[in-house]
Amino acid sequence: MKLPKFDLVEPGSIKECCKLLSKQRGRAKVIAGGTDLLTALKNRLKSPATLVDIAGISALNRIRFTKKGGLKVGAMVTLRHLAAHAAVRENYPLLAQAALAVGDAQLQAMGTVGGNLCQDTCCLYYSRQPMWRQSLDPCYKLGGGVCHAVKGSKNCWATYCGDLAPALLVLQASLNISGPKGDRVIPVNGLFSGDGKKPQKLTAGQLVTEIQVPPPPPRSGGVYLKMRVRKTIDYPLLGVAAALTLSPKGKTFKNISVALTGVEKGPVFIGGQEVLAQSGSTSEIIEKMSENAYKNAHPINNTYGYSPKYRREMVKVYVKSAAQQSIEMAESRGGKG
Amino acid sequence: MKKTINLQVNGDSYELSVSPNQTLLDVLREELSLTGTKKGCDAGSCGACTVIMDGVPILSCMTLAIRCHNKKITTIEGLAPEGKLHPLQEAAIEHNAVQCGYCTPGWLLSAKVLLENKPKPTAQEVKESIAGNLCRCTGYKKIEQAILAAAEKISP
Repeated sequence: MKLPKFDLVEPGSIKECCKLLSKQRGRAKVIAGGTDLLTALKNRLKSPATLVDIAGISALNRIRFTKKGGLKVGAMVTLRHLAAHAAVRENYPLLAQAALAVGDAQLQAMGTVGGNLCQDTCCLYYSRQPMWRQSLDPCYKLGGGVCHAVKGSKNCWATYCGDLAPALLVLQASLNISGPKGDRVIPVNGLFSGDGKKPQKLTAGQLVTEIQVPPPPPRSGGVYLKMRVRKTIDYPLLGVAAALTLSPKGKTFKNISVALTGVEKGPVFIGGQEVLAQSGSTSEIIEKMSENAYKNAHPINNTYGYSPKYRREMVKVYVKSAAQQSIEMAESRGGKG
Repeated sequence: MKKTINLQVNGDSYELSVSPNQTLLDVLREELSLTGTKKGCDAGSCGACTVIMDGVPILSCMTLAIRCHNKKITTIEGLAPEGKLHPLQEAAIEHNAVQCGYCTPGWLLSAKVLLENKPKPTAQEVKESIAGNLCRCTGYKKIEQAILAAAEKISP
């Protein structure tokens, strides 16, 4: 399908980009890798007058790592580049795992870190060709007044399916958001609105420019597991990231957290503070974490593949498995962090 | 608004005037008549339009041509420039890894990138490298055998 007509502008700096975006007031869209946006354009789901191409801003293409400062990844770094970077593989295997869980080799070479975080929500009744959509009234996400996925719902239930977000949530990462009024750093959770219709909180003129991940603590480990029917084609029917830190001696947890994708309107973060405060054996803690995750997951019938009931049941299985694998990783990595 | 870009395709340099909404796939097929690159789903799912850009496999249907200024692109036509087949192509014939032929240009280029980065891949690595190239004739086993045989031929 041909792309609709639009203009393309190439700002030379982040400042210029923010200026352009705020001037266009929502009629412009940032294009990063383009894999998510161009599909939406081809399907006539979005019709921006202008695309703002940020590929030429060299500051957005950098990966930096220091032992004290942690990892800083520019928004335009590709998933392939991220997963292949020695410091990422060595210190944040969870992040490399999540990047390699996205699509196929081609999409990983094109898709970017910032683009993956800012990808739109998906729904069987929305992410379709115009001809297919003709047979139904426009849904909330299309500007209409009905949700075909959850009958009678008063809001949009499109599902967030990004793979990097859960990994970054459990790694306690922050995002640098640039806007017309300057930069600010927010926790990853601060990006997401929990609204299926507009999943990111960014206002006109704002864009994600950098991802900052703190240095990994010693004896820590993290794993990302993704459930789908067809590897490389499907969005996650369920994605689970777990990260934990073991105490210096023994097998108790200093910290544990879990995050989910593909089961809600935004990524779901489940912190372990409350569960850890109640104390208990590691297996009891993991059990409670899996129950908390289960309670917070609401997969619905708006995708191909397994039933919502099965996907929800599998939340517990995947959380336990991810936590168990994270323990093994933490033990094998020892004091290396 | 049209813009003039320079494309390096298969070693040749082309100066082209392209619109912002033209995909690289359409430019390759319609402007340069390089129809070896196939249009399958045109939506980033099937991998038939795979080309190599600056050493990595990408989907040309999801790439705006206007963003490819000064990029080095290899299409399937560049795999056998003088008519002499690439070892991957020879292996594809020897192992009957071609049925309808629609996915063939795409997976050959995916495999070329794999062998450039990993001259001696494992069967699993081969499978992963072509996972983004759908073969609806489902001839995957033959394709895998052909790539492994080509790897052996290139670096015994």
